[in-house]
Amino acid sequence: MGEPVRRVEDRRLLTGNGRYLDDLGADAVEVAVLRSPHAHAKILDIDVTGALEVEGLLAIYTYDDLTGPLADPLPLLIPHPALTHGRTQYPLARDEVNYVGEAVAFVVAENRYLAEDAAERIVVSYEVLPPVVGITAARAAEQLVHPDVPGNVAAHLVQEVGDAAAAIAAAPHRLELDLTVERSASTPLEGRGVLARWDADAQRLRIWTSTQTSTGVRAAVAVKLGLDLGSVEVITPDVGGGFGVKIVHPWPEEVLVPMAARALGRPVKWTEDRREHFISSAHERGQQQHVEVGFDDDGRLLGLSVRFWHDHGAYIPYGLIVPIITSTQLLGPYKPGAYRVEFESLYTNTVIVTPYRGAGRPQGVYAMERTMDAIAGYLGLDRAEVRERNFIQPEEMPYDHGLIFQDGRPLVYDSGDFPASLAKLKKLVGWDDWPAYQAAARAEGRRVGIGLACYVEGTGVGPYEGGHVQVETTGKVKVATGLTSQGQGHQTAFAQIVADELGVPMSDIEVVTGDTRRFPYAVGTFASRAAVMSGSAIALAARAARAKILKVAADALEAEPGDLEIVEGRVRVKGSPGAEISLGTVAVLSNPLRYAFDEASKAATQFVVGHPDQPPVGEDDEPGIEGRDYYSPVGSTFANGMHAVIVETDPDTAEIKILRYCVVHDCGTLINPMIVEGQVHGGVAQGVGGALYERMAYDESGQLQNASFMDFLMPYVSEVPASIEIDHLETPSPLNPLGIKGAGEAGVIPSAAVFAAAISDAEGFAITSMPISPSELFELRAAHAVPGQQEGDRS
Amino acid sequence: MKVAGEAVLHAPVERVWTALRDPAVLVATIPGCERLVTTGPDSYDMTVTAGVASIKGSYTGTVSLAELPEPNTFLMKASGAGGPGTVSADVTVTLVEEGDATRLRYDADAVVGGVIGGVGQRMLAGVAKKLAGEFFAAVDEVLTGARSMAPAPIGEAGTAGMPTVYRDAGPGRLAARTGEPVSFILGAVFGAATALAGVLVGVRVARGGRRLDDA
Amino acid sequence: MSEAIQPGAVQSEARHRVALTVNGIEHRVAVPARRLLSDCLRHDLGLTGTHVGCEHGVCGACTVLVGGVPMRSCLLLAVSMDGEQITTVEGLAGTGDTAGELSPVQQAFAECHGLQCGFCTPGFLTTITAGLADNPDPTPEQARELIGGNLCRCTGYQNIVAAVLRAAELTRERGAS
Repeated sequence: MGEPVRRVEDRRLLTGNGRYLDDLGADAVEVAVLRSPHAHAKILDIDVTGALEVEGLLAIYTYDDLTGPLADPLPLLIPHPALTHGRTQYPLARDEVNYVGEAVAFVVAENRYLAEDAAERIVVSYEVLPPVVGITAARAAEQLVHPDVPGNVAAHLVQEVGDAAAAIAAAPHRLELDLTVERSASTPLEGRGVLARWDADAQRLRIWTSTQTSTGVRAAVAVKLGLDLGSVEVITPDVGGGFGVKIVHPWPEEVLVPMAARALGRPVKWTEDRREHFISSAHERGQQQHVEVGFDDDGRLLGLSVRFWHDHGAYIPYGLIVPIITSTQLLGPYKPGAYRVEFESLYTNTVIVTPYRGAGRPQGVYAMERTMDAIAGYLGLDRAEVRERNFIQPEEMPYDHGLIFQDGRPLVYDSGDFPASLAKLKKLVGWDDWPAYQAAARAEGRRVGIGLACYVEGTGVGPYEGGHVQVETTGKVKVATGLTSQGQGHQTAFAQIVADELGVPMSDIEVVTGDTRRFPYAVGTFASRAAVMSGSAIALAARAARAKILKVAADALEAEPGDLEIVEGRVRVKGSPGAEISLGTVAVLSNPLRYAFDEASKAATQFVVGHPDQPPVGEDDEPGIEGRDYYSPVGSTFANGMHAVIVETDPDTAEIKILRYCVVHDCGTLINPMIVEGQVHGGVAQGVGGALYERMAYDESGQLQNASFMDFLMPYVSEVPASIEIDHLETPSPLNPLGIKGAGEAGVIPSAAVFAAAISDAEGFAITSMPISPSELFELRAAHAVPGQQEGDRS
Repeated sequence: MKVAGEAVLHAPVERVWTALRDPAVLVATIPGCERLVTTGPDSYDMTVTAGVASIKGSYTGTVSLAELPEPNTFLMKASGAGGPGTVSADVTVTLVEEGDATRLRYDADAVVGGVIGGVGQRMLAGVAKKLAGEFFAAVDEVLTGARSMAPAPIGEAGTAGMPTVYRDAGPGRLAARTGEPVSFILGAVFGAATALAGVLVGVRVARGGRRLDDA
Repeated sequence: MSEAIQPGAVQSEARHRVALTVNGIEHRVAVPARRLLSDCLRHDLGLTGTHVGCEHGVCGACTVLVGGVPMRSCLLLAVSMDGEQITTVEGLAGTGDTAGELSPVQQAFAECHGLQCGFCTPGFLTTITAGLADNPDPTPEQARELIGGNLCRCTGYQNIVAAVLRAAELTRERGAS
């Protein structure tokens, strides 16, 4: 642990031997999904006559073919008392469609080309209805998305600690801010895909799906298809990125593909194309925010009241997680005084909104950090100074905010040293030298600005994860955990943990994730939780295995377990070279045999081992060397970080260039620093994308106009900073055996805030709407250049 | 599954009845009908190989017919099996005079099981109607003389107590009648439904041969 | 030579016989005119290392070398590749005496943590292999330009740029030894 060990996954992936979903199922028939071209419409008729001529057509399903639980709407995964008007879609649209991309018909044919041929010959008659697009329209509610949801409001939730309104009213100073963040999306390079095989002889279903939760898919599919959980297996293959979008389950296709496999008696596979991913997976980030804050002469917060409106798209399968995270993580490392946060979750006739890396934190950090800058600007104080004055101090940990977090548990920060993090960042970026640098640049006619943003990230949310560690008679160690991997290097990081716990070389360890056959109890990979949850569980499981190893070895070596150590896969008496036994032999001895099947196993047969006055397998014992354990924390553990960016804006073209990007990051104990850094790099790139380039461009009829990589601008190498300067702080978490906190989302959380801050600093006026493009900046400059206007506030 | 439809046949009601009850006509006009065997009064065995697109196969079934109290209305019951699927259908057929022509209405209630049942209702119904349409168009051609009768008998001459077997002489040709008393045999939908069923049950199914382990 | 039967073949689509040499092995396939090269490689020849990220030529994950030149296989029709020499990611590692040895580019990616999920990686590997053949000693700026047309969502590119430079170094080292 703690070493930048090279990844065990790499060789396979570098030589083209990855097994992603579309690489599987060469014998499967394939699917094309006919999707709604309208944002809001009634379905009048579906005429498939034209499709029947297509050779190779095998089936066409519509809502009428869905029976039993399949005919019900898809599950609302995370209920909440405030979610009073939750609506989810049917696997295939029933009477109406509510977003462009909603699945209407499911076409199965010998291959995808033919399936698409058939799908495009199906004629659907629609009665187009007026769509609701955008938060403003949703709030105005002149049209409704769902006729039985008044005001398009799915949920309304208030959390409050103290009397914020009173505190603000009584404060020496007050400010109000109106802010907007636009939609973006995860857009992993690999889209979604599902493959299913139905074994009619055994009445068992095996599914592969590009998911972040195989146990979630398994449970949902079993219910929907009326199967026992034990008859369904779900395997997560190699996944080409998730970033949150693949935590949603079950997608319509995840129940329809198995349904078709069972109905047709053939393996069935569906993989989406890029346009489908844009219009039928999920988006996130869109919010309108109104902040009121009261503060004193030193910039200390006395009261903070935030209202925001969250665009949830047409349906709400993932519940209120994203806005709840905004509500709670908005507080960051600060003490807000009295705090009130209120949000409305709104329906619109657009793609559903579910978590995307950051999952509501970026929006919360944006609101808080723009407020901090506004306060600093108003009082003429240094922006870092204002933040420092509001920090929760390390000696105040654990710190209870008095709110409920996304895991249904109290928001209690377990650890963190915010002043130390900020000190590191200021040093790294040269904060104190900035005014002089900026003045010199200005004298040259250059516009440069620096932004700073702090965040706290609750990671490792429950309920639990589990780990299984088994030593085989060959000496190989097989490790399994139920959550999944999408490139985070779990196979390597978890092997590092086991290597340390067991004293075994990495090359003898094999880790499997996301296969319900290997480990059936799990939650999933999201909320930066895998290292915390599965890492801890695997460590505990390895310790259980170790105890068993030492017990069996002690017996064989005639020593006490406490005198033994395991080095390079061999158990020996400490300080006494010579007497040793390999783990493989220990595994053999741990399983008393009647029959020997090879030389090694003879050593464990009944005339060779055992004490005549004791049973071969002790009462509290089991054969073999296995450890199985679970980690289930009382609450999340809180990582934190602070970013600074220096930008330069072109005085003529308003192009925005990144000069430096600095990250200080505290994720507790690091398992593999190389992997953590890679996660930060990736997050920062997504943050740059979200701040400067990415948005979902819906027109007023609900058509997504940039549903391709040509028009949805994801960063290439040319858009990311030339280098990212990273410094670490490690305040280990007291909540888990290894002291780990999550790192997966760190890079992206403060981006909108930090870029808005830097551009504001460069331009001399506040940036309140993100993302921002050069042409938008150009327009803003013009708007702020009205003569007679006050010297712009630098917030 | 319910399938209903209509067709206009260019002949008076009586001629339409006669044609529809003529096994020689049927074996040539039912899409893919290969073999028709009289098994008793108003009942027949049939073998059909037909289908649409990749849904093709052979089907063997039985049909029986009964008159209903309403004028020019018959109920036909059909059932059959082949491969991994089954069909049973009740079809009500009504003929209505329209000037010199006849409007035929059919109303079928079918239960489809096995793999055929898995292809989706709209596709099943769509294929059924398509085959029904082909059948009626062919019968219409017989009635208007667009299709000619074959001169040589292909069916085996029936002897008392032995079933008469009619075979399809090939596209567009009709087997010769042998004068066997006929009963009304086939509603349009049965032709469609059995053809369909025979086709669907023969759906190419890749069974076994691949371990569940293989992705 | 291998004869590849297109899975799920149906009779009515006209198929054209095409000979492709992929990673040094000649394959003869009969494909419909509209069959994309990416689908032909992946599903007719079973070479699933080349990945499809967008199918409209923007992300670069499907990049293969045609006569040594990087091209988007999702934008090419298999029928237009008759007689061409194609290199995919499966053909980058050593063969014969050096069978299984990672190429300098592959090795560099492993050393520099240049891949996370690995989905975009084959496209980068082929692109960089060709790029370094053209310019064996790129500056960091040139290294960035070399990969400027390939999308990656996981790594943020920092380590990929490092891998380009390291690959150049490894190529020199191996050439010297």
